[in-house]
Amino acid sequence: MLRRLFQWLDERLGLTTIHDVVLDRKVPKVNWWFTLGSASLFLFLLQGITGVFLTVYYVPSPDHAYDSVQYIMNEVRFGWLIRGMHHWGANLMVLVVFIHMLRTFFYAAYKYPRELTWISGVVLLLATLGMGFTGYLLPWNQRAYWATTVGTEIPGTIPIIGPFITSVLRGGSELSALTLSRFYSVHIWFLPAVITVTIGLHLYLVIRLGISHIPDEND
Amino acid sequence: MNGEHKQRYREKYTNAKQKGVKFFPDIIYKDLLVAFGLFILLIGLAVFVGVPNEPKADPNDTSYIPRPEWYFLFLFQLLKYFPGQIEWIGTAVIPGLAVLALFLLPFIDRNPYRHWSKRKLALGIMGTVVVGIVVLTLLAAFTTPPQPEAAVANTLREQIALGEELYALHCVECHGIEGEGGEIKGVPGLEGVTLKPINDQDVMYPFTDETLYNIIAMGQPLQGMPPFGRAFGGPLSPTEIEAIVAFMRYTWDDRVELPEEETVAAAMPTLKEGEVPSYDVHVAPIFKRYCVSCHVPGKKNNNYLMRTYEEVMTTGDHAPNIIPGDLGSNLIRMVHREEIEAGGPMPPTKALKPELVEILERWVLGGAPETAEQAAQASAKGAPLPTAAAPTEMP
Repeated sequence: MLRRLFQWLDERLGLTTIHDVVLDRKVPKVNWWFTLGSASLFLFLLQGITGVFLTVYYVPSPDHAYDSVQYIMNEVRFGWLIRGMHHWGANLMVLVVFIHMLRTFFYAAYKYPRELTWISGVVLLLATLGMGFTGYLLPWNQRAYWATTVGTEIPGTIPIIGPFITSVLRGGSELSALTLSRFYSVHIWFLPAVITVTIGLHLYLVIRLGISHIPDEND
Repeated sequence: MNGEHKQRYREKYTNAKQKGVKFFPDIIYKDLLVAFGLFILLIGLAVFVGVPNEPKADPNDTSYIPRPEWYFLFLFQLLKYFPGQIEWIGTAVIPGLAVLALFLLPFIDRNPYRHWSKRKLALGIMGTVVVGIVVLTLLAAFTTPPQPEAAVANTLREQIALGEELYALHCVECHGIEGEGGEIKGVPGLEGVTLKPINDQDVMYPFTDETLYNIIAMGQPLQGMPPFGRAFGGPLSPTEIEAIVAFMRYTWDDRVELPEEETVAAAMPTLKEGEVPSYDVHVAPIFKRYCVSCHVPGKKNNNYLMRTYEEVMTTGDHAPNIIPGDLGSNLIRMVHREEIEAGGPMPPTKALKPELVEILERWVLGGAPETAEQAAQASAKGAPLPTAAAPTEMP
């Protein structure tokens, strides 16, 4: 019975092909540093899951953002755990993604034929930093407010176009409800969409080209 | 990289693959192990370190020292070396070039070799950048002065306590210790002005939290109350004003009740087996919370007043309502919701929680001591446990 169900599904989904191409493939013998990529992916998924739970109660308006976070921390059952994991997961993800980049650099894995994997990786690194920057404002506490104030001032120093960039980021000359809703939207829709698509490309390339081997003295 | 190098690389890689392992289970196993480790680490951080609580954003607090997240600190520090006119070199040119170089790295680095011993230049540059980032981050972390301590409340109870403290500091002079108002003495400019109470239903019922917040923040210029919000030139942050509002609401508004887990029982020291509660520590908070809103002069209460130990023990048309050592005392029977000569079930609308009733029973049975010392003496004598004598049937 199970066998017939599997065959039915396999005929339509191509499960055997997926198994052969993705799982049952030979890769060079590598060390533990090569787990950082999948660790980044795992952290991204975890941030996605905890983030979705946080949106249930979070309200992106200056009047309610802080109180809704307090509510999550004090009233919602296990809200403190979800927020705590999201908070620390964000810090850890920046660290893991950065070390993943250093590992790739050290083993020269960005060279032929993996140039595009590297470029998509740079997009992912920058998007991760963007997630950190936009997410930091959302609790609307003192630390968040002032970090974003200085953060959005920085592009304002660029000659000619600087002030325009700052006003686009803030939605006006000062931090306001508009800034918060812009950051929220970028944090939960724009950047996750960019990251998801780029991870798709990144993974496709990793599976297609195989993970790089550790170079020996002749390489 | 020319064709010959590419060819050589492909052969080498095919060779490495053949000597290698299967993606499943070898690689997947390691990946899952690391993911699991990170998961445990995150739960540990969330449980044991938590998220530091910060006061609410206050755009008018110019004393707050702004700083970005730790992973942007190096950039923050870098900017300090480009003051004034050349600031944009630090803010735009250097980060812009760094990002561009990162994107184009595979095309900038034309060196066909991959082993570290043949890539000393590339590794040297990257090493310098990483060391630079670390040093700048550390410099920023050590040179930024510590943030001045700001008041934060983690729980509602802490918030109320903070509000009480701030009320005592900023409001008592004019509004009185209990918000009772009266004639102001010793406040320049307001000497002799008489204030209405702010602790009664006339204020608590019509004014929402938001109204109270705004009155404190902006003041009442026409009546002579100065603004207290920082936005209006006063000393208090939004967090602090909210704490005062919470204190007023939960202390003076007889309609609100603390959430269950915050009730009086949770706040008072827990009683040990056989320990006798005292009026001061255990019983007064219960009376204050549940009884005194009616048991004060001028209300329908058979003249039973409950503001002090003296009143509790002696007043009332059916005095004494408490007979030390007797669980048949009026008070105990009425909190058990019995209808007796002295009156009906108390509190009239809602039964006391069983743990509070038990505290009252243990107190009466232990001789209804006033102070903690008297209670300790009674405990030492080994007062009988209420469970032995208390009426077990609950109506």
